[in-house]
Amino acid sequence: MLRTTLAGLRLHKGRLVTTALAIALGVMFVAGTLVFTDTLRASYSAQVMGSAERMDAVALPEGESERPLPPGLLEEIRDLPEIDRAEGMVRAEAPLLDPDGRAVGTLPTLAVSVGDPSRYTAAQGELPDADDEAALATSTAETAGYAIGDTAEVLDADGERHTVTITGLVDFGVDPQVGYQGAVVLTPEAASRVTGVEGFAEIDAVAAEGVSAEEAVAAVDAVAGSGTEVITGRTLGERLADRAGVEADSMATALLLFAVVSVVVAAIVIQNTFAILVAQRRREMALLRCVGARRGQVFASVVLEALVVGLAASALGVLAGIALAAVGFRVGGEALDAGTGAAPLVLTPTAVLVSLAVGTLTTLVAAALPARRATFTPPLAALRDSDVATGLDRRTGWLRTGAGAVLLGASALLVSYAVATPSGQQGLVVVALAGILAFIGVVVWSPLLVRLAVAALAPLLRLLGASGALAADNARRNPRRAATAMVALTVGATLISGYSVINASMQATTDDMLDRQFPFDYQLSAQLDGEGTGTVPAEVTAELRDSPAVGSVIADRSAFPEAEGRPAGYRVATYRGADLGRDLESEMVAGDLSDVGPGRAAVDEEVAAGRGIGDTITVETSRGERDFEIAAIVPTSSQLWGVTLVPRDFAAAFPEITEDSTVLVTGAEDAEPREVRAAVDAALADHPTVQVVSMSDMRAQFDGVLAAAFLAIMAMLGLAVVIAVFGIANTLALSVLERTRESALLRALGLRRGQLRVMLALEAVVLCLTGALVGVALGVFFGWAAGVAVLRGLIFQLPTGQIAAFLAIAVAAGLLASVLPARRAARASITAAMAGR
Amino acid sequence: MSEYAAAAAPQPSPAPPVVAARDLTKVYGGAGSTVRALDEVSVSFSRGAFTAIMGPSGSGKSTLMHCLAGLDTVTSGTVHLGDTEITRLKDRELTLLRRDRIGFVFQSFNLLPMLTAEQNILLPARIARRRTDPARLARIVEVVGLGKRLHHLPSALSGGQQQRVAVARALLGDPEVVYADEPTGNLDSRSGAEVLGFLRDSARELGQTVVMVTHDPVAAAYADRVVFLRDGRLVDEVYGPTAETVLDRLVKLES
Repeated sequence: MLRTTLAGLRLHKGRLVTTALAIALGVMFVAGTLVFTDTLRASYSAQVMGSAERMDAVALPEGESERPLPPGLLEEIRDLPEIDRAEGMVRAEAPLLDPDGRAVGTLPTLAVSVGDPSRYTAAQGELPDADDEAALATSTAETAGYAIGDTAEVLDADGERHTVTITGLVDFGVDPQVGYQGAVVLTPEAASRVTGVEGFAEIDAVAAEGVSAEEAVAAVDAVAGSGTEVITGRTLGERLADRAGVEADSMATALLLFAVVSVVVAAIVIQNTFAILVAQRRREMALLRCVGARRGQVFASVVLEALVVGLAASALGVLAGIALAAVGFRVGGEALDAGTGAAPLVLTPTAVLVSLAVGTLTTLVAAALPARRATFTPPLAALRDSDVATGLDRRTGWLRTGAGAVLLGASALLVSYAVATPSGQQGLVVVALAGILAFIGVVVWSPLLVRLAVAALAPLLRLLGASGALAADNARRNPRRAATAMVALTVGATLISGYSVINASMQATTDDMLDRQFPFDYQLSAQLDGEGTGTVPAEVTAELRDSPAVGSVIADRSAFPEAEGRPAGYRVATYRGADLGRDLESEMVAGDLSDVGPGRAAVDEEVAAGRGIGDTITVETSRGERDFEIAAIVPTSSQLWGVTLVPRDFAAAFPEITEDSTVLVTGAEDAEPREVRAAVDAALADHPTVQVVSMSDMRAQFDGVLAAAFLAIMAMLGLAVVIAVFGIANTLALSVLERTRESALLRALGLRRGQLRVMLALEAVVLCLTGALVGVALGVFFGWAAGVAVLRGLIFQLPTGQIAAFLAIAVAAGLLASVLPARRAARASITAAMAGR
Repeated sequence: MSEYAAAAAPQPSPAPPVVAARDLTKVYGGAGSTVRALDEVSVSFSRGAFTAIMGPSGSGKSTLMHCLAGLDTVTSGTVHLGDTEITRLKDRELTLLRRDRIGFVFQSFNLLPMLTAEQNILLPARIARRRTDPARLARIVEVVGLGKRLHHLPSALSGGQQQRVAVARALLGDPEVVYADEPTGNLDSRSGAEVLGFLRDSARELGQTVVMVTHDPVAAAYADRVVFLRDGRLVDEVYGPTAETVLDRLVKLES
């Protein structure tokens, strides 16, 4: 039996090539992800281990405490006989100014000191040697626009500027704080002078000759006292590596999620291929049964075939995945702080075995159902001539119709529930569940959908002449087979269009929010300090109010009151210079913003906690509790969240707050945009840390983030579409093979080669277009439902351009999928094909 | 010639041949092992005549028909259909020629499984974007006796019905010649007789030229004339054949 199977496999290997490709692509994604993240993890840990292992003993503040180690401790450690040399590391905020004199980033950069020894080395140039020299984190230099040799300014704790020359660049590797804030590397003296911090975030020590790391740790520990943790450099390295590993892990999880989509699509393609192969080889199977093969043996022969194909294709996929990971690491390694991307690829047996197992098992499971069907072949089928009905099976049962209707109905109920009661996370889960139900419903219904779609497209196809009419008939001849090929594409189409809808809606919503709720030209805010409560100096606001180029200035002040020493959990804010309800708008739950006045507040739904308009609410203030009448209720997601008071009430409640957290500036009606910008720049000249964002910048920033996420997700879902197109090409190729005599007959009756090719191309296009349309319908609906269920006030936006482009791609993919099968069909000799079989 | 004179068939007319082959040679295979499937065959078929081509297996009768019909290329020699020398035509022109001027009936697999009987009959017209004369369609359908089965798929038709659909399709376009390749090979004798009778009637009553390949003497006896092939050569012919005369000739050929 084994020999028969293998002989059959050799004979039919052409038929399995595209299936093997589908498996290989899915496995490639899995293996690529595993190898890439293993390499990333190894490269992260090599980096931190390398830098930490140079130290023998490292003293750190215990636990998560931020209290610096006292300077005296460094002297004591240096005096220890077990220690050769030691250095303290200063790590505190010191804003770096960019070449325009504005502070870099929304958070102040970190000043980090390096001495001898230090865990950090220069990736380019040199570490600072003198107090007027500095090195920058590579990413910081890039954002701020500095190169080695430039001079830059750093602000000290008093806001005074210090000029430094940039001598080098430092790779901090995976250091989330540096990644977010950026870093300026200074000498220890310069660092403590600029930051004004006495003491160290870390003391690094190298042991004297002949002293082990453990002995050095013991000696340092003896002088360190409580509140200080002393560990070996190796332990520190392992700790940092673990932390970095978490980043790699979360990335692996995200990528694997997309890999799963590809594998599922591949499974559908495999299932369809084996179903067709089994149907085509009915007589072969029956002959085997005639000569004495048991059912189990027939089953085993199909499964064995799947095993061989799955294993071979998975091996190919693993190789391709390794190559993909190598390319990915070279291209993306640097962006992920994994160094220059020159690190050797890490190949773990686990990654290889898992990938092989995923591919092989998927193939086996997908082939099991067709294999079972093969065992039902009666031996008599060998003697029957089923030429007339080749590949023709138009059945679609009532059971199918009913089951599909039930599933789709249940899904619709869930969606209407989720849409009626928006509740964030939970709503998303309900919508996702409904989506899965609907998808299963569509799978069950897919043969019907194919018939409907073809019936709808048929008049259009008939306009294209005989080829079109024949294509319509062919697409309908076996709806179940066509449906499975189509469903593979529907998976990708649903996800892609669903995400497009959410993306477009989010973009429309942010744009609308910016337009309607922030109708300003500039937003000024302080660079956040440690507590996240920086303010814009009062003189900035005053100067702007006096400027003729500025039309209106709205300054908001906010407080986060405490009750009995614990945060009360809401914000209290006021908007000076704003006419609520006119200058500042919001979505409303109840009441009217213009009713807010002395003694009357606007609150969000959460603060209102069931109270209505006219009810009294008690607000914590720094002068004790105060009562206000509720004049308006806004959604919790509104920009006016918390409690909003008029300026006089706010001043009475929080007299200690005298500066603004953000200032919103609108140009005067007759002022040129250039003049407004100049007025803002002038007001801020002496305040480099105040952040200025123009609304167009903000919009570009939002759009940029959305666009980047969109591209990344599309690329990953794209692979699922590619696999599905392979599936359609495969289905078509197998159909063409089984219809060789039909094609010959058509040619004998006068169908031109070109017309035959057009017929097959149209058949593929119909399949692709149906799959894409069903997917688009599902995706648009569930994208909308997810958006509405999660975000109240989401503005639904249909990304018509993107969807049209996707449909065009589906048509092109159909044409492409038909090229090889059509070529083959058109080339065949008529007389040989008619005589054949 | 005596047999010719005694034939019950319509009197032979001096009608010009519809199809004429001259010195037709077809060689298969390459250097070393070549097979001469046809060896300088010259034969012609008159308008309105029903001719059977006979011969033992491997005599080249199917190859002759394929070459006459423009389904296969020839090694040397010419074939004319009317005034057209089809052996000079390119694939595209041959395709149009088959579509517009020739009708086919094959042994099996004559019909497209996803089309109904009627759609199959209309298929060549649909491919050619020709208008079909509804009266002619109705008449042909009536003659072949398919009225009630017109909207069935081929899988719901018996073998004889399927072949009658194929014949109706071949006749609908009023082709210059109909080629039938073992049209009754897969049929029981009663269905076979129906199909053959119908082919004969179409020649006598519609003036349709029919060329049929067969190995069955009974089938050949329906024809006006039988030509015999052996080893790729035309070796004999009989006018107004009966099953006995044909069998007699065949036995002689085999010996």
